[in-house]
Amino acid sequence: MSVFTKFLRGWQFRDSSPSLTVGEECSVFVAEANGDGNGHVYIGDTHLLVEGAGPETVERRVRVEVTEFNETNATGRAEFIEIVGESSYTN
Amino acid sequence: MSTDNSDSPDADPSESFVQDTGEEGPRIDFYGGRGMSAFPIVFFILWAIAQTAFWRISDEGGLVVGILVGLIGGMFFVRGDWKTYANTIFEGMTQPVAVTAIVAWIWAGMFAQLLQDGGFVDGLVWFANTAGIGGALFPAATFVLAAVFTTGIGTGYGASIAFVTLFFPAGLLLGANPILLFGAILSGAIFGDNLAPVSDTTIVSAVTQDSDIGGVVASRFKYVIVAAIVAFAGYLVAGQFMGGLGIGGNAQELLVAESEPIGLVHLLSMGVVIGTAVAGRHIVEAISWGIVVAAASSLALGLLSLGDIVSFNAPADAPLSQPLEFLPILTVVENPDDVGVGGSLIQGAAGFFELAILVLLIIAAAQIMIRGGAFEAILDWSIENLATNVRNAELTMVGSAALINAVITINTAAEVAIGPYISKIGERFNLNGYRRANILDAQTAALGYIFPWSGGVLAGYSAMQELPGEFEWFDTGMLVTPIDVVPFVFQGWLLVAVFIIAALTGFGREYIIDRESEEVARL
Repeated sequence: MSVFTKFLRGWQFRDSSPSLTVGEECSVFVAEANGDGNGHVYIGDTHLLVEGAGPETVERRVRVEVTEFNETNATGRAEFIEIVGESSYTN
Repeated sequence: MSTDNSDSPDADPSESFVQDTGEEGPRIDFYGGRGMSAFPIVFFILWAIAQTAFWRISDEGGLVVGILVGLIGGMFFVRGDWKTYANTIFEGMTQPVAVTAIVAWIWAGMFAQLLQDGGFVDGLVWFANTAGIGGALFPAATFVLAAVFTTGIGTGYGASIAFVTLFFPAGLLLGANPILLFGAILSGAIFGDNLAPVSDTTIVSAVTQDSDIGGVVASRFKYVIVAAIVAFAGYLVAGQFMGGLGIGGNAQELLVAESEPIGLVHLLSMGVVIGTAVAGRHIVEAISWGIVVAAASSLALGLLSLGDIVSFNAPADAPLSQPLEFLPILTVVENPDDVGVGGSLIQGAAGFFELAILVLLIIAAAQIMIRGGAFEAILDWSIENLATNVRNAELTMVGSAALINAVITINTAAEVAIGPYISKIGERFNLNGYRRANILDAQTAALGYIFPWSGGVLAGYSAMQELPGEFEWFDTGMLVTPIDVVPFVFQGWLLVAVFIIAALTGFGREYIIDRESEEVARL
């Protein structure tokens, strides 16, 4: 990306509930986890339940693959692939 | 960790989920509960308010003592062995956030001082004089020039002092309204403090949100420029309606005395730093190039001598002082008090030494709060009551950053203290690092120059109080009191407004899935 185009990125109004596509892989922070080993991810107000993302992934950046997505209520499911990063402040 | 059996993504997210409770590191138990782990940082904030707001002492050394006393005091509330508490102080101080900020500050300090000593402001004075700007337009022009100057040197405090010293008296003689003119100077300082890659607050906002500094600068341009266009129009319009003091006198004489067109060469130095940083080069590399260009051009054009950049004042009895006295950087001094090293580079770097110690200690206190559980408690409460969706989360980030900067005069210290909170709230909603850094720094830059107790206002006001002694025509009645200027710091108010609107409408919002900020390069 050129220097000029970097200044032009983000001149837009972004939805508070972004859409995801089934099969899409993305990296996201896990907000919370259930005791049964599933994690919850919020991308804005979009909510993903991530299977296999246990408590060890909370507040870490993980790679997931979207397996289901409902555009109407901006919710979906994804599968945990791997941990790819940490929070700015690690506990 | 508590559990929740609902596996439906439609379930209420606020119900009994768990946050990471920091199991990886040792916990610290406090008498009085986990809230007491906030003691060091709360004590520091109260100390900072008393010192900077109530007594108007903008002394970072005093704040260092405040956080030290807070850290010592907090230890007395620890249950059991104090060793974990002490180790956590070290753990906090060795976090990459602190080290990265300090290294970048020191580089930025050297660059900024070279530009200041190399006559950058004199070049801008020449431009203002040559353009023949009248009293009504002078506040708007001053806003633009102060913005350019601060974007180059990064320090809004330095810009406030330089512009109050040079542009303020000239503007008064031209018939500009003094309150509007002071507001324009502060607005320009906010612009640069917010945008410059060498600004201490820009650096803190980037490193606390794990983002590269060049990317942060490019991504915040849209907010800064929107606010600046409206502010510029505001100064143009207000300049027509708000009259001057009718002093008369020769403003041109005043401007010509400080005018040096060649100082504008530092626009090139500034462009080199911004261009290389935004292009993705390491911030140390980007600023180093700026230092090389600024030093080389200043030396080549006679703006600085080698001794101005670095100078050694050695005693006469030193073994090689007199034989090497011919060197342009060496001076033999008789008075023992004059022995030392001086020049732009050391002066610029040394300007950040106290702040470096302060930031290490604030991050240590924040780590105590994380390990003791108070941070988690505040976060849980915020998520449950304030940041209930992404709009509210962004409004919470704007409000909390604004509040802490409104009460702590030294805005960099306030920004370091609130950085972890902004990071955690933003990460929860997967807002990318640029968006988080931009929300954080806009409030930091804006609120640092609006209220009467703000560091930027006090820096400019202190410089203004020297003017009656410098100019016969300048009487104390012409001084603008800090309270009078509050409504006229247009860039500050507009920047806060832009972010409230941005949070409500989604303007400029970026999620991690849209673009991941590049990690700030570590050493």
